[in-house]
Amino acid sequence: MRDQIIEILEDINPDVDYDTCTTLIDDRHIESLGMVSLVAELEDEFDITIPAVEVVAENFNSVDAITALVERLAEDDLD
Amino acid sequence: MTSYFTLIFILIFLPLVLLAYTVVPQRVRAYVLLLASYAFAWIISGPLVGFMLVTTVCVYALGLGIKRIFAQRDEELAKVKKGKRAIKASYAQRARRLLVAGIVANFGILIALNYLGFFSELASPLLGLFGWQTPVSVPSIGAPIGISFYTMMAVSYLVDVYRETTPADGNFGRLALFLSFFPHIMEGPIARYSQTAESLWKGRPIDGKALYRGMLRMAIGFAKKLLVADRLNLYVKTVFGSYESYDGGIIALGAVLYTIQLYCDFSGCMDVSIGLGQLFGVDYPENFRQPFFSKTASEFWQRWHITLGAWFKDYVYYPVSLSKPVKRLTTIARKRFGNRYGPLLVSGIALFCVWLGNGLWHGAGSQYLFFGLYYFVVIWLGGFVEPSARAWASEHGIDRDAGWYRVLRGVRTLLVIFVGELFFRANSLGDGIAMFSRILTGFSLRSFADGTVFACMSRADFAASLLFIPLVFLYDLAYERGHDLRSLIEQKGFVVRWAIWIAIVMTVVIFGAYGIGYIPVDPMYAQY
Repeated sequence: MRDQIIEILEDINPDVDYDTCTTLIDDRHIESLGMVSLVAELEDEFDITIPAVEVVAENFNSVDAITALVERLAEDDLD
Repeated sequence: MTSYFTLIFILIFLPLVLLAYTVVPQRVRAYVLLLASYAFAWIISGPLVGFMLVTTVCVYALGLGIKRIFAQRDEELAKVKKGKRAIKASYAQRARRLLVAGIVANFGILIALNYLGFFSELASPLLGLFGWQTPVSVPSIGAPIGISFYTMMAVSYLVDVYRETTPADGNFGRLALFLSFFPHIMEGPIARYSQTAESLWKGRPIDGKALYRGMLRMAIGFAKKLLVADRLNLYVKTVFGSYESYDGGIIALGAVLYTIQLYCDFSGCMDVSIGLGQLFGVDYPENFRQPFFSKTASEFWQRWHITLGAWFKDYVYYPVSLSKPVKRLTTIARKRFGNRYGPLLVSGIALFCVWLGNGLWHGAGSQYLFFGLYYFVVIWLGGFVEPSARAWASEHGIDRDAGWYRVLRGVRTLLVIFVGELFFRANSLGDGIAMFSRILTGFSLRSFADGTVFACMSRADFAASLLFIPLVFLYDLAYERGHDLRSLIEQKGFVVRWAIWIAIVMTVVIFGAYGIGYIPVDPMYAQY
């Protein structure tokens, strides 16, 4: 899943080292437009729904945070 | 007392509040602040303050209502093993009704008090097309101070409770203080409940460090406003008031000086607000981050009036972008126009909502509507142009991080900002268009050479501006380069620290644009 997420991110902004970066939002590597694309692609790829309330820096600042978010939402959908 | 920039506030109101805050027991301090905040608002707005109370009662009750619904949901969820999604959806729908009621009620009050006249003016030619007339002229009773600010804060609180990122507050006093606290009531910052409510309610003792930090920040705010903004007001008021008498050069300078005036006025007031907050142990979010160093208009709005932009991003841009119909459109557009242009095309819908809201938030006037839509077009189109510019630069071997290229982008962004502010300040959209065309068709430097320019503002005031504007620039430049000047000053010894503070205050007292020959200017954003 991690590699798939990195692939999506590289498509949005190729100039970031996603393995180490933990400030994707805080340092504006992903801006609001990129965020909308990212959410759309994550939803398509992992068949989840990401509500607006989850679109906060904590959930998108690093690949690990995004992975955790996707896993959590996928679990929620199983309820 | 009309603002923080009055002797009554500085010499009577604030010392009295500080004294009362210090002498009462800690558990009562928050009530002192609540009383002071309502007194402050009452002195400025009189009985209209009742509207602030109505908003507080409204979001308090609805917040608890939403909390109760979610508590019932959790009870029910605990009992079942399957079908949880349906239960969640059903309770979310019930909570959403309360949320919508709160949003409609609060924005309803704001629109009724601020915008009815404007909308009826806009509607009358439309109605005229059908042979109808606007029934009666809409009476105006005025609006309480800060309504545009506390309404945004109240709505954000309610949405956050609905989103379950903020717990509903059962303490009416704490919520009332969060909304009404006097340091933000004039011009913001538009704080979130999670940022200030708890620390405000704690009633922390005032310590020497916080006192100095707050007083230094306030002194800097006073300096920006009284040394620069209120002085430039002379020029700006004259030119925008009777632009017909001046050539394009004078008007162009008017747009530039107005932009500087607005920045020093608004960011100066924010310095005072944040400094006041620090006195009482509250850290407000910053509202400005050296906006004139931006490379694009979009970046400018991430550095200028940050809390308003963040509000629109969190409560309008993402909810609209991530709503089902817009997401569906994005998916279709991505397939048809690719991953870059598809989402960008559809983002126009959310961006339009943001900038329409942003323009109208500033006031009921066609110039504000134009101002919002101007930035919508600039920022949306900027998104389309950016990839081509990037490709063009790499094709021609141009380093986009090179100094000269960054300066070029900065100058282009400044021009966009100056034009926007010209329309923003113009007395009407018609005036804005006339002034802009005069810059394009009647630009001349003659008025600077023959001294006509000094009819707008005296030579002495020009000289003072030429001294103080660069100081503001250098101050911002230091922060842009990562030097936190205020912290550096705070770390100095007692004598140096206070000598610097006294020097700033004395400069304001001696060179401030107040008294005979100047017009007192209330904080400019307080009217929005």
